[in-house]
Amino acid sequence: MIALSVDNLCVKAGDLHLVENVSFAVEQGSIIAIIGPNGAGKTTLIKAILGLIPYGPGTVSFFGREQDGRPDDIKLGYVPQKIDFDRTFPLTVYELLSFSVPPFYSLSLNMKRKEQEHIYMLLQKVGAGDLLRRQVGSLSGGELQRVMIAKALVNNPAILVLDEPASGVDIEGQERFHELVRRLNRDTGLTVLLISHDLNVVYRYADNVLCMNRRLICTGKPEVALTDEVIKSVYGEMMGGYIHSCHDHD
Amino acid sequence: MTTISEFLTYPFIQRALFASLMVGILCPFVGNFVLLRRMSFFSDAISHSAFAGLAAGALLGVDLSISSMVVAIMIALMIAFMSEKSGLSHDTVIGVAFSGAIATGMLILGMLKGYRAEVFNYLFGDILAVSKTDLVLLMAVSVLTIALIIVFLKPLLQLTFNRDLARVDGINVRLFEYMLFVIIAIVVTVSLKIVGLILVTSMLIVPAASARNMAKSMKGLLALSCLFGMISGITGMLGSLYLNTSSGPTIVLCSIGIFFITLFAGPRMNN
Repeated sequence: MIALSVDNLCVKAGDLHLVENVSFAVEQGSIIAIIGPNGAGKTTLIKAILGLIPYGPGTVSFFGREQDGRPDDIKLGYVPQKIDFDRTFPLTVYELLSFSVPPFYSLSLNMKRKEQEHIYMLLQKVGAGDLLRRQVGSLSGGELQRVMIAKALVNNPAILVLDEPASGVDIEGQERFHELVRRLNRDTGLTVLLISHDLNVVYRYADNVLCMNRRLICTGKPEVALTDEVIKSVYGEMMGGYIHSCHDHD
Repeated sequence: MTTISEFLTYPFIQRALFASLMVGILCPFVGNFVLLRRMSFFSDAISHSAFAGLAAGALLGVDLSISSMVVAIMIALMIAFMSEKSGLSHDTVIGVAFSGAIATGMLILGMLKGYRAEVFNYLFGDILAVSKTDLVLLMAVSVLTIALIIVFLKPLLQLTFNRDLARVDGINVRLFEYMLFVIIAIVVTVSLKIVGLILVTSMLIVPAASARNMAKSMKGLLALSCLFGMISGITGMLGSLYLNTSSGPTIVLCSIGIFFITLFAGPRMNN
């Protein structure tokens, strides 16, 4: 089944096309990586898909249902590239995750207990069970990422959207993070849309890749779609040989 | 010399104490959101917008509490709408609204004949002049506002933390932001008579800032801000009676004293 379908999507800022006629589809339960140089419109594309910025013309459909803006009943999880928040905000990890647990308000102690169990279970799943009572502002980059993944999973989303979530984290942290995403994908059938600059990550973890530079350049399985010509046209001559090392490594 | 215990037998003193207690809870509770969202300039603009409302009320012969509240709500909604639609920064829109409100207020005041003490009382606050009706209004606003914020605490904190994440979670960000702006406008205007237009932002910000020096969680922040606000309100009120000083500034100075105690006692200066 197609979880997400994007048809001829355009995003404009005045007369400038930030995203131009991009079309692709994502199979339920797959991981699709979006790659492209800086300024290619990757973040703009996923913000349009999430309904965070206006777009048009073009359509975005979730599970065959066209949506104008944010889907109401289809839950999405989102981990932004950079989480801009006040680090002195005295907010615990538990409180941060509880914001997303419905209902808005309940006096029922049973509901509160279920909420606590759900949050603790999610944190355990992402390897952050020990962070429950920590303040969000005191977390390291890697810890914050795992917490944000748990937060994105709170409402059992159908699709998880990750915008370069591993940027600014050391190599070991990145590795652990991508393994976690793949494990979640395999264990729960979660559909994942992932922006990455790292071709290694694309080859190792993505079922499909979408390469763009404002327009769609190619889409398909990484080993088929990412030809030397495509990589050179997107990233320049320097990256031409890199693709072979990624293949070999994989 | 009249002692504090004798003072406490007077009904107007009892009303003043009760009002300072209520403002001490209400302002910091809402002020937490003002502080977390870095909206202190907004609350300043709203209090100064109320000045235009006071002048308009005096000109039209309308109850000043009502006229100031209506104008403050209108300006708050206008700021929210203009920021959203124009793409201009909040600061720019607030700066324009702030200047416009002050200029309008001064213009209207110039059209009034004679010295209008009732308008100027709102500038510095006159807690001893708080009537039973003022208390009922303050009480009603306090109960409704605090209940509304507690019921919608999750979405309000979520959008305070990060707007995009709130929208992806399905929260109607626009609705809750407008709601918060209106709540701030109402709280500012009902507090005017007690602490005065010039110092009302201090009552919103300072106890919340003191709580932030100590709090380890959001629940702790909300509870501590109210506690510090109550202590400031009561000690400031009693202090003003004892020292024969203006109550509004005394309350605010007490809250600033608490701020420095929490700053030096809390983890911020000791890590």
